[in-house]
Amino acid sequence: MKLEYSGQEKVQADPQKVWSFIQDPHKVASCLPDLKSVDIKDEKNMVATVGVAVGPVRGTFKFNIELDPKPEENKMMVRIRGGGLGSAVDLTASADINGQEDQTTLLDWNGVASVSGPAATVGGRVLDAQAKRLIETVFANMGKKMAEV
Amino acid sequence: MEITLNINGTLKKLNVEPRTLLAHAIRDSGLTGTHIGCDSSSCGVCTVVLDGKTAVKSCTMFAVQAEGYAITTIEGMAQGGKLHPLQQAFYDQHGLQCGYCTPGMIMAAHALLQHNPNPSEEEIRFGLSGNLCRCTGYQNIVKAVQQAAQMLQQPASSAADD
Amino acid sequence: MSVQTTNLEPKGIQGLGKAIKRKEDPRFIVGKGNYLDDINLPGMLHMALVHSPYAHAKILSIDTSEALKVPGVKAVITAKDLAAAGLSWIPTLAGDKQMVLADGKVLYQYQEVAAVFAETRQAAADGAAAVQVEYEPLPVVVDPYKATSPEAPVLREDIKGQMTGAHGPRRHDNHIWTWNVGSKDETEKALAASEVRIKQHMLYPRSHPAPLEPCGCIGDMNKATGRLTVYMTTQAPHAIRTVLSLVTKIPENNIRVISPDIGGGFGNKVPVYPGYVCAIVGSIVLGAPVKWVETRTENLTTTGFARDFHMDIEIGATKDGKVTAMKVYTLADHGAFDAAADPSKYPAGLFSICTGSYDFQKAYAEVDAVYTNKAPGGVAYRCSFRVTEASYLIERSMDVLAHELKMDPAELRLKNFIRPEQFPYPSALGWTYDSGDYEKTLKVALERIGYYELRKEQAEKRAKGELMGIGISTFTEIVGAGPSKDFDILGIKMFDGAEIRVHPSGSAIVRAGTRHQGQGHETTWAQIVSEELGLDVDKIIVEEGDTDTAPYGLGTYASRSTPTAGGAMALAARRIREKAKKIAAHLLEVGESDVEWVDKKFVVKGVPSKSVTMNEVAFAAYTNLPPGLEPGLETTYYYDPPNLTFPHGAYVCVVDIDKGTGEVKVRRFVAIDDCGTIINPMIVEGQVHGGLTEGFAMAFMQEIAFDEQGNHLSSNFTDYLLPTALETPKWETGHTVTPSPHHPIGAKGVGESPTVGSPAAFVNAVVDALAHLGVRHIDMPITREKVWKVLRQAGIDSF
Repeated sequence: MKLEYSGQEKVQADPQKVWSFIQDPHKVASCLPDLKSVDIKDEKNMVATVGVAVGPVRGTFKFNIELDPKPEENKMMVRIRGGGLGSAVDLTASADINGQEDQTTLLDWNGVASVSGPAATVGGRVLDAQAKRLIETVFANMGKKMAEV
Repeated sequence: MEITLNINGTLKKLNVEPRTLLAHAIRDSGLTGTHIGCDSSSCGVCTVVLDGKTAVKSCTMFAVQAEGYAITTIEGMAQGGKLHPLQQAFYDQHGLQCGYCTPGMIMAAHALLQHNPNPSEEEIRFGLSGNLCRCTGYQNIVKAVQQAAQMLQQPASSAADD
Repeated sequence: MSVQTTNLEPKGIQGLGKAIKRKEDPRFIVGKGNYLDDINLPGMLHMALVHSPYAHAKILSIDTSEALKVPGVKAVITAKDLAAAGLSWIPTLAGDKQMVLADGKVLYQYQEVAAVFAETRQAAADGAAAVQVEYEPLPVVVDPYKATSPEAPVLREDIKGQMTGAHGPRRHDNHIWTWNVGSKDETEKALAASEVRIKQHMLYPRSHPAPLEPCGCIGDMNKATGRLTVYMTTQAPHAIRTVLSLVTKIPENNIRVISPDIGGGFGNKVPVYPGYVCAIVGSIVLGAPVKWVETRTENLTTTGFARDFHMDIEIGATKDGKVTAMKVYTLADHGAFDAAADPSKYPAGLFSICTGSYDFQKAYAEVDAVYTNKAPGGVAYRCSFRVTEASYLIERSMDVLAHELKMDPAELRLKNFIRPEQFPYPSALGWTYDSGDYEKTLKVALERIGYYELRKEQAEKRAKGELMGIGISTFTEIVGAGPSKDFDILGIKMFDGAEIRVHPSGSAIVRAGTRHQGQGHETTWAQIVSEELGLDVDKIIVEEGDTDTAPYGLGTYASRSTPTAGGAMALAARRIREKAKKIAAHLLEVGESDVEWVDKKFVVKGVPSKSVTMNEVAFAAYTNLPPGLEPGLETTYYYDPPNLTFPHGAYVCVVDIDKGTGEVKVRRFVAIDDCGTIINPMIVEGQVHGGLTEGFAMAFMQEIAFDEQGNHLSSNFTDYLLPTALETPKWETGHTVTPSPHHPIGAKGVGESPTVGSPAAFVNAVVDALAHLGVRHIDMPITREKVWKVLRQAGIDSF
């Protein structure tokens, strides 16, 4: 199942703050909902164990998260690969990070996810809605935390 | 954890995990007439009856939830060595072929006839729509339930009517 | 608790044609059936499988360390461990080989990747969830039409570059074989010379038999005796025993396969599945019995699927409706391995029965098989070896032709039927049909349903804008595989065996090489013996399924049991009767030629008062024999049938379609079957009811579907639908009887006729209801959504 999402998040922080946040894997990990544990390998790689519920498919998923910041292009790329409960997820996302005149930052993000296994087949009916909610929660968490800093 | 289940009038002490389904607990206690056929509570071969008249798919209950109920399985239908009219009727009407859906089907029919002793054909088909069968096409199962309904309404009669 | 059986009335001598109640029922109605999962052995371990989430991927690593830490888990094996025993790949029934556990890569979603052995079922499942597998996804092939394109990824790297397969040359790495029969040139010429030609494409979608009991086995290697006992849900225990011996190298006398009560087979329980092999290996390695019972999801996603034939047909005819020639091209999607359970010389099964009940002078059929990223299989779900596909093709096409010619579909069929005097009939594609009376059977069906009145009603309704349709299917089946000159499975000829042993007190034990899964052999074989030997049917016990005791046979599938084992049973009984006659003559104190078998007794010719029963003869066989005669009264007979049998039928279906919702309601369905001699009419009727219901499911509700990434979309009973009592129509059945001239009791078999014949009747009825709107064909499954779309496209706007 291929899923595509896009959206915009207005962050109450300037681009510099945003960049320092998203290049810090500890801070990024803290935005993942239902995080059970995280193992930071280096500034670009981590393995996170996250609680997942997609319809009747409920349990923990293990994700390999690879951050690929491209500040010269004002762009942040993320690759998330992993699975659990016989399912597999492969997500590639990118966000354009553009400073606004009022010292806020606009995150223009989009992502393409490929889901295989029971999460896609058995959970398929609710997968789209769940995935969208999950992504929106991540960005909302990010927005909140970035503004705090 | 230790639980006590009342199955067919006998109290059985069982050691189960909290996640053990009632269907598995019944089978593990030695009563293998209750079967398992799917993993989405769709097929009904695990149907048992609680407190004499409520049909339940035993895969939708945890064993620990079943404490305090009187559970009837297919093994509890024949009384005093005599077949229950439903069992007799399934035999008379060729209402079974491989036999796998039969216990669940009989239990569902048993509950149906408690609530509706004289069901129409449509009511029988609707009442059994939670129990799948791949072999019979249901036609003789319906006839069996109709025969059993008739037999149960006749006082003190257990003779098979063809 | 003992259950009294006095209300299961005694039966006496009950031979052919008697609708006696079934001898196997008493245990099932009290919940004392002995199914695989009911069996528990001391010290038994449980096995669970790990499955791939990807349809096509390389396996980068398998980490079993977490799984081994789960309490109760004893071992985890992968392809590497099986390779050490030479068992990581096994031969399939179709001349291919298949992985047992994924070896380097996975080729379909849910493919088995590892096996976990534990003390309890729960621990095994927990262990399986803890196995960590790293995959590298590869591009997926789901569309069989794209499988052999130049850009298609290679699926079978194990046979990459091999340009010859088990059934001839391969033109692409994802191509398996191309099989053809008939004369292509002559057929093309005949088509070109035909006044009318129709072409039609149709799909027989992938489906799955889904018996209510899933597959399973218990492997029990006894290290002390060296004997391997395997309890298995199998329709063919002896074939399994021989295959296991070849594959494990354990001598065949040290393998015992026991097929207990089976909760439905329908062809799903014929192949050797990876789970079976892993359980047996586990038992050998761990020295304990190992039980594996699959889940419903595993059943629907990994075990033998059915159909998936993409068919193109062209038929030529004269303008007044006499068919001349037919040409067929079929693309067969076999999934990742060719594991179709066909007799070895017929990679496309008996598909060449596609000329059906009609007298085609010229015909040509070609079947092209390809690999895709789906589970292996192909021959299952009551198909008679691809006869469901062939029958659907011709019966649907005859309606397309009738529509083209503006001819009534019944009239077109009557015009083209093979005539009774043409039997034995040599078809254009090489079969010799034994007997049949197609016209008689169709006319019985038409009369039963009131066909001509229905056509009048249809015309009236059509004028009012109401949608009503009538569909006919007049199919010819081909079953009873089969004669040794043409039929074998992995080299083993497809005869079958029957053993009868009569006891001194006039009861008998009877065994056969077939293995019923609800077809009633414990009753029907007893009826044959009761008929031939005059013994009380209650005193004849029938056993099947234990390879230590049953005579060798090829099992029960493809409606072969009555044609083969039923024949063996009758001939075995007759051989016993020959010996019994000698004993009877001795008891009656006359010469053997003065004794005749009349009314199931041995009678002195001309002196009807002087007779002995078989019971008396049986006792004498052990107590009072003529000098020189061997004691006892038993025999084993292996029957090599001289030909297949050709049951046939005429089915008529009436539907009403709701213009608003597209819902199709089956108003009536009449099924007139001709299966030759009928052993037990009640059992035959039950078989027809069940098969019609499965045909109904195929026509309206079922499809094993995949998305473009190879995700399996029909993995459970909430997505893959089986009919319940609520939507299943009421069936009206009847018979004509045209005995098989070559079968010992004239019987032909009937189990699969209803699934073979009914789908076309349903589809023909729906198309007939919509034909005036320009609809020529709708592919199965005919869902409400499909019909609704057709209606909207034709400008029919609801109420």
